[in-house]
Amino acid sequence: MIFQRKKKLSFEGGGILLFEKVEEAIKAEKVLKGENYAVKLVAPPPTLRKGCDLAVEINLVEQMGIERLFKQKDVVYLEVVPLKGGGELLEIVKVTDFKEATMVKAGNMKLTFDRNTGIILNASGGGCPDIPYLHTQLIDKKLTEAPRPKEIGFTLCALMMDRAFEECLLLWGKGGN
Amino acid sequence: MMLIAGTVPIKDLPLTMGEVRFEGEFLGLNDIKIPCTQGTAALISAALAATDYLKLDSPHVLLVGDNGEGKGSRLLYEYLIKNIHDLLPDVLVLHYCLPIMDLMRKLVESVERCSKKPIMIADASSMYVAKAAGLATKFDIFTPDATEIAFLADPDATHPAYINKHLFDTDVTRTPELVNAAYQLKGTAKLLLVKGKIDYVVRDGEIIDTITEPDIPELEAIGGTGDTIAGLVAAFAYAELELHEAAIIAARANRMAGKFAQATPGTKVWQIISQFPAVFKEYLCEWSGVCYVEGNRSMSIT
Repeated sequence: MIFQRKKKLSFEGGGILLFEKVEEAIKAEKVLKGENYAVKLVAPPPTLRKGCDLAVEINLVEQMGIERLFKQKDVVYLEVVPLKGGGELLEIVKVTDFKEATMVKAGNMKLTFDRNTGIILNASGGGCPDIPYLHTQLIDKKLTEAPRPKEIGFTLCALMMDRAFEECLLLWGKGGN
Repeated sequence: MMLIAGTVPIKDLPLTMGEVRFEGEFLGLNDIKIPCTQGTAALISAALAATDYLKLDSPHVLLVGDNGEGKGSRLLYEYLIKNIHDLLPDVLVLHYCLPIMDLMRKLVESVERCSKKPIMIADASSMYVAKAAGLATKFDIFTPDATEIAFLADPDATHPAYINKHLFDTDVTRTPELVNAAYQLKGTAKLLLVKGKIDYVVRDGEIIDTITEPDIPELEAIGGTGDTIAGLVAAFAYAELELHEAAIIAARANRMAGKFAQATPGTKVWQIISQFPAVFKEYLCEWSGVCYVEGNRSMSIT
């Protein structure tokens, strides 16, 4: 074969960051690359376009860590959207009562606390690598004293765990039920 | 060899490979002690409990520290992509790892170039990324829970946090519909063990068994009890049971260990794992027909 097509370097992130202005997108890309995130400048698909003509493709699962980094570095963005699907994060939580404990399920994460003491008994579900770490940081601590998953986690699993945590706090504040 | 690859919450742990052993409530890997907590450590511990009982070789593990930032996960993918054709495991289990679609794609391509294809099992985020990248059918076994089967049945979602809320709302009795949808979409492995109030074992879209007893609802709250099921499935597959048998026995053993441990929502996964030898002793013969054990897979069937 005389002409061989050069294989493109692939990056499949599954999510994009949208910006009002091109310079904000460029700054965001620089900040993310500086922290070793795999990202790519792209044109947003027409169906998702808001703001300017430049977007940054990210690994969607890293959404939470990226949004926290943007707060720290004063990076302005419009929103994060998945490249496929409805684009809405799950907001629904489900509550299961055991004899003296309550389990709150948010997405793929479940958090269980003791209704008498407010102590976190268990965290289950999920699959991202920060979940075992969060497990070690949360278990056997009081809900009111434990670190928030959104402060120390990085992934969408951690974000779901934080939603469950928030609901647990609410239930505990109302008397545990 | 059974090879289990995943991350552990020891941030500075370099990429480490070796055979594991129990050291009290810890896993010993070379000179490193790993707490047996939720995640890949729980999966390995369950697999090790089964291989110890069956007098098989202990699992080889490829572990790396990663607290969610993804650096360790990338090292793990890259090592496997480069070396899987030399490692040539009989069973390859991919577990907690940052989902990175392009690296998973390269890994699957590397596995397909191996002279002998391993039994491929994915759980946790390795299952997420396999589905998101359209690679699910390349795997032999997935072990999703009720939310994760909704994710596998959602044509668009790349993570369970973004599944269609109507699928998340779905009553557990509609799991067979989700299973069917997941197979139609090619969003799942050849064999599924769907964990829940009812465990479903599904092969090529057909539900071939359900497991409901003993009913221990508290197991759902205990972090790591899904990981232990995946570890048991892997070990029984390594013991050369048919894959659907491996799944059925794993589901039964996990439930029974919960009963033996008198599980509460505060029980730790280690307390469940410690019951496996007693469960195997009492039930494995009845369930599998494996009634005495010789080393290295020469098991006799009654």
